[in-house]
Amino acid sequence: MKTPLKLLLCHHGTAGAKRAETLALELAAPGVTTIVHCLVVPELWAGMQGDDWLNNASTRDAFGDYVENMLENDAKRELAAVEAHCQERGIAYEAVMRYGDPADVVVQVAIETSVELVVIGSPRIKGEEGLRSRMDLEKLVRRLKCLLLIAPHP
Amino acid sequence: MIYTRKSPALLIIGLVMLLWGWLNASGNVDGIQQYFQKSAYSDHMKVKEKFDAEFRVASEMAAAESKPAPDMKMPKSKFDEAKSFQSKMCFIFGGLATLLGLLILMCNKPKEGNFDYYMSIFPGMAFILLIAFVVRWGLDPMFANWGKAAQPTLGWNFASIFNLNYVVLGIVIGIIVVNVFKIPGWAANGVRTARFFLKTGVILLGALYSATELAQLGGLSVIMIGIFVLGSVGVVLFMGKRMGANNSMTAVLSAGMGVCGVSATVAAAPVVNAKAAEIAYTIGTILVWGVGCMFLFPTVGHLLNMGPVQFGAWAGTGILNSAQVAGAALAFDPHGIETLKVAEIFNITRVLFLPIIVLWLAAWYVKHEAGAEKVNLGQVLFAKFPMFVLGFILMFILSSMGAFTPAGHYQGKYFSSEQIKEDKLLKGKETKAIEGELARLKDAEGAKQLQAYFTEKAINVGQRHATPEDAYKGLTDLVANKKMSTREQETLLKAVGKMKGLDAVAASAIDKASKAAYHSSKTISAFRDWLAWLFSFGLIGLGMQITMAALKQAGGKPLIIGGVVGTGKAVGSLIVVLLFVKEFI
Repeated sequence: MKTPLKLLLCHHGTAGAKRAETLALELAAPGVTTIVHCLVVPELWAGMQGDDWLNNASTRDAFGDYVENMLENDAKRELAAVEAHCQERGIAYEAVMRYGDPADVVVQVAIETSVELVVIGSPRIKGEEGLRSRMDLEKLVRRLKCLLLIAPHP
Repeated sequence: MIYTRKSPALLIIGLVMLLWGWLNASGNVDGIQQYFQKSAYSDHMKVKEKFDAEFRVASEMAAAESKPAPDMKMPKSKFDEAKSFQSKMCFIFGGLATLLGLLILMCNKPKEGNFDYYMSIFPGMAFILLIAFVVRWGLDPMFANWGKAAQPTLGWNFASIFNLNYVVLGIVIGIIVVNVFKIPGWAANGVRTARFFLKTGVILLGALYSATELAQLGGLSVIMIGIFVLGSVGVVLFMGKRMGANNSMTAVLSAGMGVCGVSATVAAAPVVNAKAAEIAYTIGTILVWGVGCMFLFPTVGHLLNMGPVQFGAWAGTGILNSAQVAGAALAFDPHGIETLKVAEIFNITRVLFLPIIVLWLAAWYVKHEAGAEKVNLGQVLFAKFPMFVLGFILMFILSSMGAFTPAGHYQGKYFSSEQIKEDKLLKGKETKAIEGELARLKDAEGAKQLQAYFTEKAINVGQRHATPEDAYKGLTDLVANKKMSTREQETLLKAVGKMKGLDAVAASAIDKASKAAYHSSKTISAFRDWLAWLFSFGLIGLGMQITMAALKQAGGKPLIIGGVVGTGKAVGSLIVVLLFVKEFI
């Protein structure tokens, strides 16, 4: 396979994302490839105050700030870890953090950054613990204009 | 940031409301309304027939006396009143929406600030109100008609069994809107005001309790909630430890499972440093249980023939999420507020327990988690205290002092002859039906049935269990006086009136005599009507905040623990209610 000049790595810290990272690092060539790390904060968090109505506004604000800070810190930690791995290998690194539907965001970022290849992890096996926020593969495949590589389960 | 979206949506909603108001006022939709308002229309036809007959007689008499035909006006029927109410609501709110919609479209560059923010809430509010109109005036009667139409084929009324009334339908439509169509950007801010309207509803509800009711229900709710909240929190803490769940997850889950669902999770999560995934699992699990229970509880309540106090106490204790408690209470009894009154006392008790439970969990977390920061107890108590409860208490005090209606109203019942109008006394046909039932209940089979009913429903007279003799005396007095004479007689016979197999005329006569003992004030009646609208509005808006993405997060250890505790709480509280809670307070 031809060494990509720019590839998009979808990574948000899950086991599948870590496999995608390993694969992306194998495909990337130091000094040639730039890895664009796309981290999506899924839309499900918008509904995470649910139908709370009993609390005072201050309690709800405190909760909103708490969740927002936590998600931001988690995201920063993931971005820093992947950046460090890229630096170790001398691979150029760019980070993009967005909020929204994962498939929509990946398609949009792939267009904006003109990548040649998108690398994602395979979907979690049913029953495996984790947040239910799957990538809509059909949507992604239909709309993506570049190559897509899915890191398989071991 | 500019919040107001320049969209024609509010103007369109306003014009749609005005159009419906005009169609009703002009009689152009009478055909449709005849279908929707079958019972009101049947009343209308009776009023019309009576009026036509009276007019004919008056005209004939006038003609015989060589006088001009009399100028008579047909009295308003329930059908006319219903149409007139719809027109009035549509003209008021449609007019406001149209004006504000025009203002939003004409305002070229809105400036940042409070005015912009407050303008941005109106489109969403009008959106929910339009849905509330469609649900209350269209879908609710339509499903009721379909349920009745399908009954001969199915053998049961699906609309009644599944409680497909305006409350359940409103919440379901809210859930459909957010998950299928997504809330439009122009409506997002207004949809959030649903919480405010629900709280306003609870505050207004404060005016409808008598001191006796509040004391009895308050005592019952403190005992029930105390046992089940503390029990659930303890069981979750125990199970979490046994299953090796993180301390933060166990703590946030115990708040959600034990106290008031999502609201407790939101309050406790920052205090116990819950992680993002733990919050998501907990809220997902609570919402799944809450929505499921909202549909299940009213159906079970009807199957078990529960009364408002029993059902309100059960829903108020057994349903994990507080929003669904109000939904289930209104779904069980959509045209009265007795069940809602009981359920809301339980909701208020739960939320009053919340600061205490959050403190307990904070202390538990600090003890079990190395490096956890201590919390400021005073700050937690102050921040988590539900301010709207003060509004509820204020309304209760104002109402008890006679601010809305004469103070005697709050005693609820009137028994002296001077206070009951002649036309409210029972008629000959009604007393005859009661005498017939009295004779039937006095024979061996009837006495057995009566005794079994009193035992099943745990009906008391004062401090002792009611006996058939009490009922015979009460019914004999009712026949003699043609009205209820004492509070005890009214309470007992009201229960007898609900007994299965009782003659319909006799049951209706007892109900009539019972209602005659109540004087309802116009202000309080207006409060009741507005409450129904406030809760309907609030619950549609809350439905719009239940996303499938959040529901899907139910899983992992929280789902297992939640399943065990949720089922235990629902079944346990049902048993306690059936065994120990009297049907009528």
